[in-house]
Amino acid sequence: MTGDLLVIARIAGRRCALAALDVKSVIEIGTVTPIPRAPAWIAGITALRSQALTVIDCRRALGLGGVLAADEWATDHRAVVVAEGGHSYALMVDSIEDITTAAGEAGQVPGGFGAEWSRVATGMIETLAGPALMLDLAALLAGPEVARHEIEAGI
Amino acid sequence: MDDLLADFIAETREMLEASGGELVAWEADPADRARLDTIFRFVHTVKGNCGFFDFPRLAGLSHAAEDALADCRAGRRDPDQQLVSAVLAVIDRIALMIDAIEAGEAFPEGGDDSLIAALDVSHETVSGAGLAGVKEGSNPPLHAPAETLLAANDEAAAPYRRTETATAQRTIRLPVELLDRVMSGVSDMVLARNDLAHRLRQAGNQPTIDGPFERLTTILSDVRDAITRMRMQRIETLFGALPRLVRDLSAELGKQVMVDLDGGDVELDREMIETIRDPLTHIIRNAIDHGIEAPSARLASGKREIGLLAIAARQSGNTISIVISDDGRGLDEERIAAKAIATGLITAAERAVASRDKILNLIFEPGFSTAETVSNVSGRGVGLDVVRQNLEKVGGSIKVSSQPGEGTLFSLQIPLTLSIIAGLTVEVGGHRFAIPQSYVEEIVQGTARALEFTRMGETALVTFRGNRVPCLMLGEVLGVASCEIAASEPTLVMLRLASGDLFALAVEGIHNHGDLVVKPLAPAVMRTGLYAGSTLLDDGQPVLLLDVANIAAQANLVSDTRVRALGTLDEETATTSDMPRAMLFTDFAGRRSAVRLELVQRIETAPAAAIDRSAARPRVVIDGLILPLIGLPEAPLAQSRVRLLRLSDGACELLYAVREVEDAVELTEALHPVPEDPLAEAVTLIGGQPVTLIDAHELFARHGEPPIAAARPRCMLPPGEWARTILAPLVASAGYDIVSEDDADNAAIGIVFDDIFEVAEALGRTLPGRVIRLRDQPDAPEGCETIYRYDREGLLAALAAASRAGIRTGEAA
Repeated sequence: MTGDLLVIARIAGRRCALAALDVKSVIEIGTVTPIPRAPAWIAGITALRSQALTVIDCRRALGLGGVLAADEWATDHRAVVVAEGGHSYALMVDSIEDITTAAGEAGQVPGGFGAEWSRVATGMIETLAGPALMLDLAALLAGPEVARHEIEAGI
Repeated sequence: MDDLLADFIAETREMLEASGGELVAWEADPADRARLDTIFRFVHTVKGNCGFFDFPRLAGLSHAAEDALADCRAGRRDPDQQLVSAVLAVIDRIALMIDAIEAGEAFPEGGDDSLIAALDVSHETVSGAGLAGVKEGSNPPLHAPAETLLAANDEAAAPYRRTETATAQRTIRLPVELLDRVMSGVSDMVLARNDLAHRLRQAGNQPTIDGPFERLTTILSDVRDAITRMRMQRIETLFGALPRLVRDLSAELGKQVMVDLDGGDVELDREMIETIRDPLTHIIRNAIDHGIEAPSARLASGKREIGLLAIAARQSGNTISIVISDDGRGLDEERIAAKAIATGLITAAERAVASRDKILNLIFEPGFSTAETVSNVSGRGVGLDVVRQNLEKVGGSIKVSSQPGEGTLFSLQIPLTLSIIAGLTVEVGGHRFAIPQSYVEEIVQGTARALEFTRMGETALVTFRGNRVPCLMLGEVLGVASCEIAASEPTLVMLRLASGDLFALAVEGIHNHGDLVVKPLAPAVMRTGLYAGSTLLDDGQPVLLLDVANIAAQANLVSDTRVRALGTLDEETATTSDMPRAMLFTDFAGRRSAVRLELVQRIETAPAAAIDRSAARPRVVIDGLILPLIGLPEAPLAQSRVRLLRLSDGACELLYAVREVEDAVELTEALHPVPEDPLAEAVTLIGGQPVTLIDAHELFARHGEPPIAAARPRCMLPPGEWARTILAPLVASAGYDIVSEDDADNAAIGIVFDDIFEVAEALGRTLPGRVIRLRDQPDAPEGCETIYRYDREGLLAALAAASRAGIRTGEAA
């Protein structure tokens, strides 16, 4: 992992890292068409040229929506475009900070990152710009329901 | 080297598919040189290509088949059943080996010799039998130098070959991803063009730019068409494998079946062809296994020994219909009904009233399968319900009809392509959504009262053409707040599901329709079950495509029970039940009467004001026809609208005014004649109550007359897109026929824009006798007789006034 390029973004006030290879582009987010009856963490769809992007509200996708007031942190007017499983998504984050290089492997910290974060994080990663939480894109895009189902299934 | 191998595999596959059909055709007509040449070329090419690679077994097999076929071509032996089977076996083995090579596996040893021997055995039998006539080559070596044979045969084959190459299409192979990339690139270009068009309009007319821009638009739409067609494939690729399938199946089941393919040049989206491959195969298996009888049974019932399986593809507009028909024993209605009752699909009471058609189509219900013994041909654990599901998934449908003893006909309707569909954009609560056009039966606009909008519990119902149709509020379905005004005057989109169920979807407005490029949605959104995809409108706005079938299913609108419970009040004439059926109604005298259902064309609703009582016999104008009306009470009507049964004897039509239409019923009880009432054919009991059956003969003898076309006033429209798409429907709904300038006579009125009118007046051009002048601005200049072009009330009033004036002048003349 060392030497890999990472995109550093802030979600719910925390520094998070995404593998730059997963990130297709960063766009100015335009009009978002809401999707009635879709889960709350899906903000809607937006157009990128002829492509339709599913807009993900990362805070809610983490499952933090209920805990944190939505306007506690402002949302960036830019979004990170990622592709996963043949579909393209635009991730709404607090802010997009930097592109940097990983300076180590993703590792765990004693005590974990908290339930919501542990679900989507592969671990803490040291970068040239300081430590960040390395995100697992697939887990993030699976949404908070998955975690709940797993817990229910566990019981 | 890998590329070369991949090419070899792909080429061999392609030829394999093509030659399957050729072989069967050749077997049917061994004298057909062209077929023989094609198959020969195939094995020859395989053999030749093997030279590049190290495939000794493949080479050996193709060599042996080539030798045998070369003998046939040289006339040294006649192709017979055994030879064809042996060659088919060799080709099958080649196909398996190709699969193994591609997968990089070792093919199991052995078996080749017996196949080669089979070629040889049949050869020896034939050459032995024809020994007297064969001068030389009665003992050709098994591994003869094929080159020498070839050299000799190539000349003889030359004239046949030339005709072959003329029909072959030149093709190249491309990865589908590349096509998709080009396609999305073109979509991007279209969006960029639309954006540019928008900006150009804002900037005003610029002749130097407009010309080239128009050209760009034309080129772009051409390119878009071509790209779309690139995804298309001839359905031949699917049909190619069918003769072989039919041959093998019929041989296995001891039946004789001839297959007739038609419409192979119809083109279909590549992905769609893959989607219908399994359903089609399944239906063909069924037809041969259950439909077509054994030869002896066929002869016994006076049919030809050989069964006929016809498969035809047709394109009509945006859909492809594929019809698979056989001349077998047909579907057994009684057995299907018994099975359906046994499995609880319908109740015995429902069976009694269901039409044959309805019973037959039960075979597509989940959990239905008639074959008591599961044969290894049709009984594969996959029922026709899966076939229907798969077709519905892509927006298609399937229906079956059958005549006992004469055959069965399956008809499949499938959309042309998965990715581009015609769609309608609707609005609710400020959101826009798209609906596939193929579902839309009709769009109805009107007040809640006119549509007889009622709520039964939580379910809303509307009346459409005399039927109570369930109505879904799109706003409620999606959980979107909709505004109040729209609720009292909804726009209803009548949607017909593939299963035939009809329901209404109430929306707030309809925007436009056009071709939509549908893109898949993220799985999390698909899980809502409400959307089928997303698409971009011309302004670049993304909208969601509603999954109509699923929305209906979630609202429980698809279950058959509901349709049966509601029944249909009219147009049930297609019934094949032996019981005579009648339409039950209450007339204005309060009597319950019935009229034979065959006579009832439709149930009309007319405003009371539309009834003309001036003549001795009342009349009503419906659909531009003046029809006689009977059954009206003497007193003036209390209600504002009156329900009319439109009766027809084939030539004459008349309307029968009724107080209430009840239901379509079967006349099960005895009919008692009533000699004292000339208008009554009989009195019978329906549900224990006496009902008078109207004597149709007497009715038409007294009142019938051929309908007279009512002269509709005519109207000329100004030229242009706006007039055609926006003004014309309004004018037509006001009762006018739209005519072109050439057809217009003096009585026609004209609608012109005021600026045009002024120019024409100034130049002294002739104008229609009466003119309605339109202006572009809402505010009228002083003393000007113009109407703002969106002033609906004003326009309608002017049209009505002009129409009345026209009638007066017409009468005066």
